[in-house]
Amino acid sequence: MAQRRPLEGIKILDFMWVMAGPASTRILADYGAEVVRIESPTRIDTARTLSPYKDNTLGPDSSGLFNNCNAGKLGLVLDLKSPRAKEVISDLVRWADVVTESFSPRAMRGFGLDYDVLRAIKPDIVMLSSCLMGQTGPLAGIAGFGNMAAAISGFHNLTGWPDRPPAGPFGAYTDYVSPRFAAVAILAALDHRRRTGEGQYIDLSQAESSLHFLGPALLDYTVNGRCDERAGNTDPRFAPHGVYPAAGEDQWVAIVCRDDREFASLCDTMSRDELASDHRFARAAERLNHRAELDELVAAWTRTLAPEVVEKTLQARAVAAHRVQNSSEILADRQFQYRKHFVELEHPTLSHFTVEGPRALLSRTPAEARRSAPTLGQDNAYVLEKILGYSEQRIIDLVVAGLFG
Amino acid sequence: MTMLSPYRVLDLTTERGLLCGQMLGDLGADVIKVEPRGGSPARMIPPFVDDRPDPDRSLYWWAYNRNKRSITLDLERSEGGELFKRIVERADFLIESFDPGYLARIGLGYHVLAAINPRLIEVSITAFGQDGPKANYADADLIIMAAGGPMILTGDDDRPPVRVSVPQAYLHAATDAAIAALAAHHERVTSGLGQQIDVAAIQSVAMATQSNVLAAPLGAQEARRMSGGVKVGPLHVPLVWPTRDGYVALTFLFGSALGVFSKKLMEYLCERGFCDEATRDKDWIGFGENLASGKEPLSEFHRANEIVRSFTKSHTKTELLKLAVERGILVTPLTTVEDVVQSEQLASRGYWQNVQHNELKRTIRYPGPFAKFSATPVEYRLRPPLVGEHNQEIFSRELGLSADRLASLKRAGII
Repeated sequence: MAQRRPLEGIKILDFMWVMAGPASTRILADYGAEVVRIESPTRIDTARTLSPYKDNTLGPDSSGLFNNCNAGKLGLVLDLKSPRAKEVISDLVRWADVVTESFSPRAMRGFGLDYDVLRAIKPDIVMLSSCLMGQTGPLAGIAGFGNMAAAISGFHNLTGWPDRPPAGPFGAYTDYVSPRFAAVAILAALDHRRRTGEGQYIDLSQAESSLHFLGPALLDYTVNGRCDERAGNTDPRFAPHGVYPAAGEDQWVAIVCRDDREFASLCDTMSRDELASDHRFARAAERLNHRAELDELVAAWTRTLAPEVVEKTLQARAVAAHRVQNSSEILADRQFQYRKHFVELEHPTLSHFTVEGPRALLSRTPAEARRSAPTLGQDNAYVLEKILGYSEQRIIDLVVAGLFG
Repeated sequence: MTMLSPYRVLDLTTERGLLCGQMLGDLGADVIKVEPRGGSPARMIPPFVDDRPDPDRSLYWWAYNRNKRSITLDLERSEGGELFKRIVERADFLIESFDPGYLARIGLGYHVLAAINPRLIEVSITAFGQDGPKANYADADLIIMAAGGPMILTGDDDRPPVRVSVPQAYLHAATDAAIAALAAHHERVTSGLGQQIDVAAIQSVAMATQSNVLAAPLGAQEARRMSGGVKVGPLHVPLVWPTRDGYVALTFLFGSALGVFSKKLMEYLCERGFCDEATRDKDWIGFGENLASGKEPLSEFHRANEIVRSFTKSHTKTELLKLAVERGILVTPLTTVEDVVQSEQLASRGYWQNVQHNELKRTIRYPGPFAKFSATPVEYRLRPPLVGEHNQEIFSRELGLSADRLASLKRAGII
C-alpha cells in the first residue's frame, strides 16, 4: 500500500490554468491533496501548447510544461458556459475544501461563480484567486503571462549587463515565484478554518507576491532613494563572483570566493599563488575594486579546462564553483539523481512522461507525484460517478445537455 | 486572531532561509530568531540604511525578518545548548540552514530534539540537500543558479549566462520550505508527530526554468539564451521590445492559445497602418507550425517581428500599457525599482506598509502582504528585530530565568 501523504483528505476544486495557478496546486497534489481541475472543451489550456514537447512533437498531451504543472490531478472537462454547469459545479463546491482560479478578474463572476456565490453554497469554503496584478486597481484587467508581471515588477530591468538592454530572467518568472506564496496562503487559511470554522477569500496578485523576491532593492529605494540597476554577475560583497568560459562550445563555470581564504585557495589551484598577496587582490575590498582584472585572470585559467574539472578541483578545496548546467547536464548530475529529481510516470496516451519530483523531502510522510497530468476529460467518469455519486441516467442527461462539449 | 497565531517557530536560518520564517510570521506565527552572539551574519549583507554598515541597519535583513523576535544564544556551548533545548520543548517548527550535519555535531541534531519534543517539525534549507555526492559543496546564489538550470537560459548569447542581480536562489528554497512545513503541520494535527524536511535550493530553482529542465528527459529541444527572449531551434523569439523611452515585455507567439492574441495584435497594427491586410489575415494560430513545416519561410517570421518592432519603437511604455488595459494586447513596460515603488496600481491596492523604526526615528515603507486575506489579513506587527532585542522578554518572562542567571549567562557570553 502506498504511504500516506500529509495532505490526504484535502479536496481542491481547481479552475486554474496556464502556469502560475496550476503550479501551486501541483505542489499540493504532491503532498496528497485531491485536486479536480476543470478544463474547457472549447478553449485549450495555453499550457498544453507550450514547449518543451515530448519527443519534440506538438500534441494536446505532449507539453512538458503542462504535465509538470498538473501531474497528480484529476481532469474534468466541462463547459462553464453551459446552462447546467452550475449544478455540477455546486456539487463540487460542496465536496471541496478549497476552490482556486486564475482567470482575469471578473471572469468567475461572469460564470456566476464568484466568492459570494460559492460561500452561499458552502459557507466555510476557502477560495483563492490568482491573477497578474490582483483583483482590483487600474491594471486589474490586463491579461497576460508571468513574463509581463515580471517586467512590470522590475525583474527584467535587474537582469543582464549594465552596458546592454535588459536581458530579463528566463520566461514567465513570476509564474515560478507566486505559486509558492499561493500554496502557503491556502494551507494557512485551511489551518485557520480547522480551528475556527471560518473560510475566506484570498486575492493573490502574482506581481505583489513576487515583489518579495526584490525586497532588498525595494527598501534600498524607499530608504536610501537608490534605484538599483542590473549588474551582470557582479556582487556587492564578493570577488571573484562570476561565470567564466570553459573549454567547449557554450561551456561555463560559476565561481565565487566568499572570503580571503577561499581566494587564496583559488590562486593556489590556478598555480598563481602570487595573486593572493598582490595588493590589488589580497583583501575583499581591493578585489572588488579590481574586479575586471581579476575576472580576466580567472578566465585565462578556466578557458582551457572542462567545466566539471574546474568545479571538482575547486570544490575539493572548498571554493564555491559549479558548471552552468543545461537540461541534459542536470539529468546526468549525480546530486539531482541522488535526490530523484526526475520522475517517470505512466501516461495514458504517450506511454510514459517525465516530470520534476516533489521539491522537499519529508522524512515520515513524503510527497509523491502519483500520476501523469490528465488528458482532456480523462477523469470525467470518475469525478461524476465516484466523487459526486451521479446516476448513469443523470450523467447521460448532462452529456445530452452539452455540458461536456 | 491570525492564521498561525497558536504556533511558535524557531528560526535559526542564515541568508539561506530567512524568508521562510518571515512568511510564517506574516501569517501570525510567533517566530523567534535565534542568533549567534553579535547577531546573524546575514545582518551584514548590504545595502544598509544611509550606507552605514551595522547589524541593525541592513536592508537585506529588514526585507526578510519582520514579524520575528530576536534572541542571541551561543548554541556551541553546552549551557547555550541546554537553554535551547528548553525553548524547543514548546516549539512547533524549527527552521535551520546550517551546513549539513552541523546541528548534529553540536549535539542538537533532529533526533536529540525530537526526543525532547516529538511534535517538532524541523525544516532544513541548504544548497544541495542534506546528503548525496554534492551535499558538502561550497555554495552561493550564483552557484545554485548555475547548477539548477535558470542561468544557462538567461543573458546575452555573446556573453556568459547571467543571474538576476538581486539574489533569488534561496528565496525559491525558502518558499518551498514554508509550504513543506505547513503540509507536515497539517499531518501532525492527526498523528501528533513531527518530522524532518530537507529542501535543496538546486531543486527549487529548477522550477524557475519554465519546465525547460525537462527538455533532455523528454527528448525535446533545449532552449537557448537570447537577450530579452529565447532561441528555440532556428527561431529567435523576442519577448522584450524597444520603445521610444525604454522597453516593454510583449508576447507575440503562435499556436491555438497564444495565436489568438497575436491575431488581435496584428488586427490593431493593421488598423494603425503598421501592416497590410494580407499580413493581418495570416493564420497566426498555425503560424508556428507553418514555419516548422516550411509552409511559411523564416523570412516571414523576421518580417512580422520587424512590423511589431516598428510599432513598439514608435510608442512610449505608457501608451503601450494603455493598450494592454483597453485592447487586451499582451504588453507591459519594463520598470525600474523607482517605477515599482511609485506604481499607481500598487498604491490603489494599498500595497505598501509603513513600519515604525523608533530606534532610528524613521517610518519605513515596506513591500506589502504577499496576499490579501478577507478574514485574517496579514499584519506587520513587528519591525525586524535588533540583535537580541527580545532576550529579556523571552529568557526572563517566558522561560523564567532569574535576573541573576540571565546576567551571569550574559557575562559568560552565552547570551
